[in-house]
Amino acid sequence: MTDVPIQMQQGTANERFRSGGPLFDLLSRGGLAIAILAVLIYGSLASPVFFTAGNFVNVLTSMAIVGIVVVGMTFVLVVGGLADLSVPATIACGAILSLALQPVIGPVPAFAAAIALAGFCGLMSGLLIGYVGINPIVATLGVGTIVLGIVQAAVGGVIVYGTNPDTAALVKSRLFGIPAIVLIFMAVAVVGHFALSRSYWGRWTIATGGNYAAAEASAVPVRAVKAGAFVITGLCAGLSGALLGLTLQSARPLVGTGYEFSAITAVVVGGVSIMGGFGSVPRAIAGLVFVQLLTNVMVLQGVRTPVQGFALGLLIAIAVALDVALRRRAGGAL
Amino acid sequence: MSAVATALRMRGISKTFPGVKALSNVNLTVDFGRVHAIVGENGAGKSTLMKVLSGTYLPTTGTTDIAGVEVRMRKPADAQRLGIRMVHQELNLVPDLTVAENVYLGRMPRKWGLADKAKMVRDAAAILDELGAAIDPKARLGDLSISQQQLVEIAKAYAAGPRIIVLDEPTSSLSEHETAALFRILRKMKQEGIAIVYISHRLKEVLEIADDVTILRDGSMIDTRPADGITAAEMIRLMVGREVTNVFPKTPSEIGAPVLKVAGLGDGYNFRDVSFEVRAGEILGLTGLVGAGRTELARAVFGMARVTEGRVEIGGKPVAINSPAAAVRAGIAYVPEDRKDDGIVPSLSVRENISLPVLRKLSRFGRVSMSADRKLAESYTKDFSIVPPDPERRISLLSGGNQQKAVISKWLSTNPSVLILDEPTRGVDVGAKAEIHRIIGELVAGGMAVVMISSELSEVLGVCDRVVVMRDGHASAPVERAALSEARIMALATGEEAA
Repeated sequence: MTDVPIQMQQGTANERFRSGGPLFDLLSRGGLAIAILAVLIYGSLASPVFFTAGNFVNVLTSMAIVGIVVVGMTFVLVVGGLADLSVPATIACGAILSLALQPVIGPVPAFAAAIALAGFCGLMSGLLIGYVGINPIVATLGVGTIVLGIVQAAVGGVIVYGTNPDTAALVKSRLFGIPAIVLIFMAVAVVGHFALSRSYWGRWTIATGGNYAAAEASAVPVRAVKAGAFVITGLCAGLSGALLGLTLQSARPLVGTGYEFSAITAVVVGGVSIMGGFGSVPRAIAGLVFVQLLTNVMVLQGVRTPVQGFALGLLIAIAVALDVALRRRAGGAL
Repeated sequence: MSAVATALRMRGISKTFPGVKALSNVNLTVDFGRVHAIVGENGAGKSTLMKVLSGTYLPTTGTTDIAGVEVRMRKPADAQRLGIRMVHQELNLVPDLTVAENVYLGRMPRKWGLADKAKMVRDAAAILDELGAAIDPKARLGDLSISQQQLVEIAKAYAAGPRIIVLDEPTSSLSEHETAALFRILRKMKQEGIAIVYISHRLKEVLEIADDVTILRDGSMIDTRPADGITAAEMIRLMVGREVTNVFPKTPSEIGAPVLKVAGLGDGYNFRDVSFEVRAGEILGLTGLVGAGRTELARAVFGMARVTEGRVEIGGKPVAINSPAAAVRAGIAYVPEDRKDDGIVPSLSVRENISLPVLRKLSRFGRVSMSADRKLAESYTKDFSIVPPDPERRISLLSGGNQQKAVISKWLSTNPSVLILDEPTRGVDVGAKAEIHRIIGELVAGGMAVVMISSELSEVLGVCDRVVVMRDGHASAPVERAALSEARIMALATGEEAA
């Protein structure tokens, strides 16, 4: 009968947080660590290249750019903002401006301006979502399309090249063998983690995603908090794009394509709830590490690209199903 | 169906969850054509027992017979096929569908493979009519009041032609007037031979409607008795295992100067020209039928809804309250009616819930001081004996009464001069109720002004110093405690003088 599933849906809002047998807790906390370990072990056995410092530095470097976006995207999911689909546009904005403005205002102001403008795009999305009440998917898709259009028009739809090789050298430089770009990612992750878990803004973000009405009734400025998550993602994507531009020393308008889904995949695989109210930056980054390692192993093993896509798609489906299952699990004595 | 046959016999039902024995060896026998009430404190096992009956849980041990045949129900659909229908405390309806579509959800009448809407509307109208509910079957469900939605839920269960109907706290959102209407419906179902299982905290209602009463305590069945031979006091004694002398103790307190004054307030729709004042150390009751505008008024005073006329004064000064944040600054706190929707953030701990409105004050340079945060939560957990006494526990894991105490704690942390409580004891068990009353008593003794919205007359009569009765958005003049009586309040609430 159709009314059975409907009854279940109606009761699901709070139930993720109602139960939690010890085994379930362990799985939800440690499941990802176990999965990462499994990939590490399999990778080491399967490929002689996998467990080498060189390979790990490669993985970390390719992780860093999307990782910065993941930090922002975590805020969006936790606040109950579903997803920010304007990321490709804000990354392009960061990459193109950081290069195109170099001859005009110098590399450092260009870098800052690129990030600021990406943050402004985030603010536009945020205002539409938080204050006007437009669905985040629609709002970010709309803002992203407009911004990308403007950026394309501004550079005439062509590739922009870097003019200052020093900046590329700086981004590619290493400290104790770790690329600067990875260090920047780590710094962003640490700041993001403390902002979400220790600051009042972070607590507001979790509360707003957990129960919007209750947070509003508790004098939390819910609209601003919701908008803020998109500003944070805009700034992160802008930084990510600027670093990408400086690394490549060239940028096309479509340079950011695909990053939104990589970021969402990582956050969701990390166990951050798609419904909001639950999640942390370390969880999202664990999700990212897992996805990146898995991809790396598949690449080293010569798995064809479509199969890789299939595997990642399957992974998202499993993660989302687990999220829903955790929510559904009523039980315990009532 | 014969008049005196056993509809349901559950024998030796036990249900164990990891670490918890929720039910232990419970027996329950319900006859066709009788109303069987199940009472017990929160956590006594009522909900678990009903989930076994509705096929949500498989019991660890024990057997269930329906109309003399042993059955094994693995999922809700099994129970529904056997003619068992649940009417849940939280309504399971789809707000965007019409009343008729909700009544026939999943069982739409068909014609040539398509939904036969005309027949559906006709049938739904007939059912609603039969139940004496004046509801348009074509109305959008979400546009109905909560009490009307409750009737639709009952109509939905009834339309399925059940043998057994289980009602879980069906009157918790109904006024006394509407409760009487519900009881008429139940009596009609009873005459048709339907077995009714009735779960409620409201013992007076249980005595009124039930033929038999089963008392549960701590997962065990204490007793089953005919309702004729039992009193409310006796039921409470059996439920808690001790004698509760005064259900509503009233602590005397000194009444001071007016704190909150509402003058001519209206939102142009739900309430109009409402004026009253609350003094320090006073509990002002705000009662009336459901839909009279009490909650809308409280939400407006707290800045969660707009007003179109009138003003609010705090300590003699007019204040503009256009958001909950502004209300908190003005010293107003509001414990909402719907704990799950507006009260708690389920994913956060008790500590994180309590400090939510004052988080900024507990922070330096944006960082929340964990020690201040912990201290705040620990003091309330102790003062209000929140169980379990662990502020780090997720609030959703607490019982309703303890969640309510945490929500009250949250508001007290803002240090308000006026506390508005909207149905603070709805759906909480007897013990927690007495404790919430004790807490309110202590607050007014400390000089706070309290507005308590309640539909339960005995609570209003027992606790309040003065009572304002609302009817159709208008407020009566306050009735002083000395002049309070059930008849007086009902007369003001319904606009009909009691005979």
